[in-house]
Amino acid sequence: MERWVVIALVIAAYLVLTLTIGLLAGRRSSSSVAGYVAADRSFGLLVMYFVTGASVFSAFAFLGGPGWAYSRGAAAFYILAYGALGMAPFYWIGPRAASLGRKFGYVTQAQLITGRFPSRSLSALIAILSLVAFIPYVTLQMRGAGIVIEAVTDGNVPIWLGSAIAYGIVIVYVLAAGAMAVGWTNTFQGVFMVVIAWALGLYLPFRLYGGIGPMFERIAEARPDFLVPPGLDAAGEPWSWGAYSTFILVSAIGLMMWPHLFMKAFTAKDDKTMRRTVILFPTFQLFLIPVFLIGFAGVQFEGGAPPSADFILPFMILATGLPAIVVGLFCAGALSASMSTGDALLHASASVVVEDGIAQFVELDDRMQRILMRVLVLLTGATAYYFAQDPDSSLVLLLASAYGIISQLAPPVVASMYWKRATTPGVVAGLVAGTATAFFFYLTPELKPFDMHEGILGLLVHVPVLIAVSLLTRPQDDQHVKDFFS
Amino acid sequence: MSLKTARVLASTYFVLALIFVTWPGMVPFARVEPLILGLPFSMAWIAAWVAGSVVVLYLLDRVECRYHADGDD
Repeated sequence: MERWVVIALVIAAYLVLTLTIGLLAGRRSSSSVAGYVAADRSFGLLVMYFVTGASVFSAFAFLGGPGWAYSRGAAAFYILAYGALGMAPFYWIGPRAASLGRKFGYVTQAQLITGRFPSRSLSALIAILSLVAFIPYVTLQMRGAGIVIEAVTDGNVPIWLGSAIAYGIVIVYVLAAGAMAVGWTNTFQGVFMVVIAWALGLYLPFRLYGGIGPMFERIAEARPDFLVPPGLDAAGEPWSWGAYSTFILVSAIGLMMWPHLFMKAFTAKDDKTMRRTVILFPTFQLFLIPVFLIGFAGVQFEGGAPPSADFILPFMILATGLPAIVVGLFCAGALSASMSTGDALLHASASVVVEDGIAQFVELDDRMQRILMRVLVLLTGATAYYFAQDPDSSLVLLLASAYGIISQLAPPVVASMYWKRATTPGVVAGLVAGTATAFFFYLTPELKPFDMHEGILGLLVHVPVLIAVSLLTRPQDDQHVKDFFS
Repeated sequence: MSLKTARVLASTYFVLALIFVTWPGMVPFARVEPLILGLPFSMAWIAAWVAGSVVVLYLLDRVECRYHADGDD
């Protein structure tokens, strides 16, 4: 049998297993909206840990991470730096959001915000912003899955087919089973990708350079500036501290504002589970170390170079001449990273658009909502699939700007739970001003002061506007605020 | 330790972490030598702040748990 066929068979077996787990998990879920969106608030520590870890670490970390280490050196360290910083505030915010969720029946973040700041247009605005940020993120995951499959099958399964197969499976179990399927498949995929990353990340430096230290010594000798933060930019020129620092800041602020992550607050069984998840999360973060080692192993590699930096992981796996079965398993690990984020993204974007967008304006019963959510999973999937076929889509750029949008949700979330004097006009004005600013600097990057990320520039406008307009408008009704804070 | 002290200390840790992994706190530590466990110094430096946050959050949790024994707010 040909080598690529063996690899393809291993991947196929892995995909079938994922599908089976997803479908079996769905049978444990109730058929209500709370069941589909929030898994009946039933996740224990093990599932929460891997759901959170596996949905944070996507194809961006698993393929983009080594790609950055390989092409931009120390710039990649920003990905290691922001996760723990972004997750820590959730130790307090998470349980607070969860208790409000139980009290008022919230299943999305916009419901929490508009519960405090009643406004249908605010709800719709959040739904639209979330969707705009979600689509490039899903696109990236699909393209990632396609890249892996194409690379390891010697092009016999092209990107369009590989991403269609992988995401066909994701869509089947998300449609059938919702949050419960996402939870259990991510547990399986999370374990899988952690094991694979450590195995490969330690194996490659030892195999090629005789150890991790010797590998870095060789890189430092050949390219002295490569390993010194802030590393290099996309063009290979030194990156700026302004960009490096604000990438960390905007990612830390934006991280838990992604609806698919924030909504985990509503899926946890109890507050203790959620706090433990936050405590353990940085351990998941450390798995970026072996992921970077995979990329660094390619820097001084003498056996050629991948077609582009994003291909470095499958390229290194193939270049080392490992047995076909092992190669197949490694690639399944990379697919796990893509699919475990992609499924959460598809599921969350459909939930958000229906709950916070459409249901605000049209009367929908429980059954109708569930049907609509499934239609939207298909629509979002199809849109992202369309973009994923574009070979020169600048996805990393799109994703970075997605963080600029999503970080604008932080001030409304914090204001809703921690600032009694905040008002609806204040929150709406802040959100509009912040998003507009971020969008303006996204379009005119040459005007950015200190090369700062447009999301941070947006927040610098957003927060003062939120505060000023809130103070200038009539305070909220005492009883309403009391209900929310008690 | 009181709940308030624990919260202030934990928050301080994360503010310091942010300062020391970005500009300007990172600048003195942005170097390759000495290698720590084979890793470039700056990479190990960031990883240490990440690992430290597990310890800080764990200690914080032990204090918080004493104040809401049922594990709920």
